[in-house]
Amino acid sequence: MVGLVILVYAAVAAFELWLWAERPWQKVLLYLVLFAGATTLAVLPVLNPDLKVPEPLGFLEKLLKRLWQKGGSV
Amino acid sequence: MREHVPDDQGMILVLLFVVGNTLVFGLGGVAGPDIWLAFLTATVMALPMILLMARVRSLMQGAALYSGLEQVFGKWPSRGLALVYALYAWRLSCFVVSDVSNFVQAIALPNTPKVVVASILALLMLWAAKEGVEVLARFAVVMSKVVFAVLLVTFILLLSVANPAEFLPVMYDGAKPVFLGAFQLLDFPFLEVVVLFWVFDCFSSKRSPFKVFVPGFLSAALILLVMTSTSLAVVGADRYSVFYFPIWTAVSRINVSTMRLEAIVGVTFAIGSFLKMAVCLLAASRCVTYAFGFSDYRFVVTPLALAVIPGSQWLITTLMEVEKSAIKTYPTSATIYQVVLPVVFWVVAEIRVAKARHQGKGG
Repeated sequence: MVGLVILVYAAVAAFELWLWAERPWQKVLLYLVLFAGATTLAVLPVLNPDLKVPEPLGFLEKLLKRLWQKGGSV
Repeated sequence: MREHVPDDQGMILVLLFVVGNTLVFGLGGVAGPDIWLAFLTATVMALPMILLMARVRSLMQGAALYSGLEQVFGKWPSRGLALVYALYAWRLSCFVVSDVSNFVQAIALPNTPKVVVASILALLMLWAAKEGVEVLARFAVVMSKVVFAVLLVTFILLLSVANPAEFLPVMYDGAKPVFLGAFQLLDFPFLEVVVLFWVFDCFSSKRSPFKVFVPGFLSAALILLVMTSTSLAVVGADRYSVFYFPIWTAVSRINVSTMRLEAIVGVTFAIGSFLKMAVCLLAASRCVTYAFGFSDYRFVVTPLALAVIPGSQWLITTLMEVEKSAIKTYPTSATIYQVVLPVVFWVVAEIRVAKARHQGKGG
């Protein structure tokens, strides 16, 4: 399944790149980096269906909740 | 290439973006019979932020988005800000796709995997986003006629089964539920308008951002207030927050011969959701390309759209999570994206523009 997902994403990327009239390396690089990110995102939940969603601002939310419960005093 | 959207088309785009995928959910249910007060409070609370966004755009003096941002904030801060909002817009498009795929599975296609619906939606929004904001705005104008007609017919028919006594007594539980309901509405959908800041490339005049954002937002708030309050009057205040899709239940109670009318609510949901996800994808693409110094955004639309498919399956998995995300009371991330960052950048923009004017006069 993982192989199939990677293959589909790679095929779409290759096809679209082939359609471009010009291929400046900066654009191609950003395009490939984004496609690699999309493929990783598609593969990760297949490998681990219970993968947790990252919460980069989770610490801030916890801190605010703690402050709120203590009535504003740390 | 500069993309210009006339004021009236921009206004309709804002309206449909706000109404978008929101209509079917039990918005502001925590306010109970005071839902109309929660809507009014949320509108009053959101309006300063909408005015603030319009003010920042008008400070760009009619320049295109990229050059205007660099003029007002400087090159690197505006690129950093664009990257942050790219993530927000992409995440929002994942949420909308997830809302629609869960809705479709719950209502119409229970045996179809959500990923199939999400893939079709991703292809559609990819196409729409590649066409650009001008086409999206014209599409919004054409489709708004259908949406308004459906909503008007639904509203008139709902009146026949609505019970105004459901709104009484007013503020029986005090002001707290009203404010909680208002905060629910601020996060989703009112202040999501912040995404549209990144979509419009250039406006007709310096006053245009105000003519686009303010009437568009106010009309959308009025439509949502009327439709949500009417649904509550039909299903009852105590049962409104029990249903996943209260308006769907309310419309199913209308008797017109043997016809079932729920599907026409699905039409507005489908049009609004499609427009909203396309706008979010467009905003994400514009922000990413701007952050990396490119003027054309179309080449990154495909990878971002294909990232939405797994994103929509991963960020929100079940219908319960969809409802939870729709009725949550102002999470920290929303506060940062919708309030803190816009206020900070408005203050910075005012200071920098005032300084530039002062130097201009002095020189």
